Amino acid sequence: MSETEILDIGELDQEAWQDYAIEQGWSDGLPLVMPTEASVARMVAAAHGDNEGFAPISPRQVIPTLQSLAANAVMAGAKAEYFPAILAGLRGILDPSYNLHGSMATTHSCAPMVMINGPLRQALGVNCGTNCFGQGWRANASIGRAIQLILLNVGGGRPGVMDRSTQGSPAKYAFCFGENEEESPWAPFHVRRGFAAEDSVVTVMSGEAPHNINDHGSTSAEGLMTTFAHTIAQPGANTIYGKGPYMVVVGPEHAATFARDGWGVDKLRDELWLRARVPLAHISDENLATYAATGHHPTGDFLTIARGPQDIHIAMAGGPGKHSAFIPSFGGTAVISTRVKLPA
Amino acid sequence: MVGVVIATETFKPLVLAQAKARKVDPHLVVVKHPVGGLNAEELAVRIEEAYAGVLKEMEA
Amino acid sequence: MRIVNPGFGITPAGAEQATEGKVDWLNDPIVLFGNSKPNARELLEGVKAKLGLVRRTDNIDFIAKTSASQGAPLDMINDAAKKYRIALLALGD
Repeated sequence: MSETEILDIGELDQEAWQDYAIEQGWSDGLPLVMPTEASVARMVAAAHGDNEGFAPISPRQVIPTLQSLAANAVMAGAKAEYFPAILAGLRGILDPSYNLHGSMATTHSCAPMVMINGPLRQALGVNCGTNCFGQGWRANASIGRAIQLILLNVGGGRPGVMDRSTQGSPAKYAFCFGENEEESPWAPFHVRRGFAAEDSVVTVMSGEAPHNINDHGSTSAEGLMTTFAHTIAQPGANTIYGKGPYMVVVGPEHAATFARDGWGVDKLRDELWLRARVPLAHISDENLATYAATGHHPTGDFLTIARGPQDIHIAMAGGPGKHSAFIPSFGGTAVISTRVKLPA
Repeated sequence: MVGVVIATETFKPLVLAQAKARKVDPHLVVVKHPVGGLNAEELAVRIEEAYAGVLKEMEA
Repeated sequence: MRIVNPGFGITPAGAEQATEGKVDWLNDPIVLFGNSKPNARELLEGVKAKLGLVRRTDNIDFIAKTSASQGAPLDMINDAAKKYRIALLALGD
């Protein structure tokens, strides 16, 4: 990592550029778009309106410039108009309660989960529906990837050095989706967090890749809750001792069933708090002793995987089908929502 | 204050990279990985390694 | 061909290294700083027991950050820095 902001790399063709970038350690393993001065300038111009400074990025602890952030966004394949959303996501990640340093240095598989709300989803073409966690949408792929590349290149979170994840996760390439506000029976996530409906908001959490919750058979909220609670109550969850938040992303068909039976988000969250608990019989004696030694004591015959209902965050995304998703967090982290600052 | 970091070999690159980022020359005692998940007999070997490293720091 | 360096960043002002000063390894108080990972306390306490062969141990104490996944609270670090001259810190797994 050179200390110079502008680098003269000579004349490189496409293949030579890829080799050069990989040699510098800039790549996530996939090809990168060259961050020429002109392409970076276009990206930076799109961020006018967001001129606050940034905190140092862990673990390397250096302060980024708008240019170095934009260079990563260009390399990720982002369009210039995505840049304000990338910056909003980064600001959330740099909030101390996100615990970036811990989430980068851990052996856990966490990655920055990025969820977008508000009108910007449609303006940018963020996929909120079918296959929303998957491939095929430039905005989802490159916004998520840009944030990862920033953490790699400015933050220094190099796998095997400062990123100590035991197995990593596909989510470490890119993990960005939008809430399916249009089909949700509930108020949008950002509105429930106090933002205006017309605000565009990026929410981040240091999370695992989504875990599927399949329930084709249940026809009631009560039935769905049985499946949801027991899928979520995992003895191997990080949050069984590193207590913290988790996300439940309800698919539209499951959401419709919950709503038809009168279950709002608060009810869903309260029931998950009461029911998504890990029975002590599912936990080894050695683990129980370890948890007790670090202050994590059972509640009755269970261990919880959150500190309270406030740790349980509900959103709605996806397309047709009887699937939802559980996104466990690293534990010592927070769910942080940041309004996107757009040019006036 | 003098700080001596006791880490397993797996975490040595992290400690060194962190120290470099902070321009610190770390006092580092490296033991074999892992420490977690070991029984008392296995842990005793790690304690010996860690103690030997701390003794070296004392004598340095 | 000129590109913008994607790794460029500015070192914050005031990030200079603190000085350590001299310590008396045989008498100065030592804090064993656990990271709340399994066996970390046992490892540090084991080292303390062995240190009894070469130095006093009545002023060697164990403390631990409350969460394995989060940094130690600043108050805890500052208190330890005031009370002890040497820290043995457990890091990683």
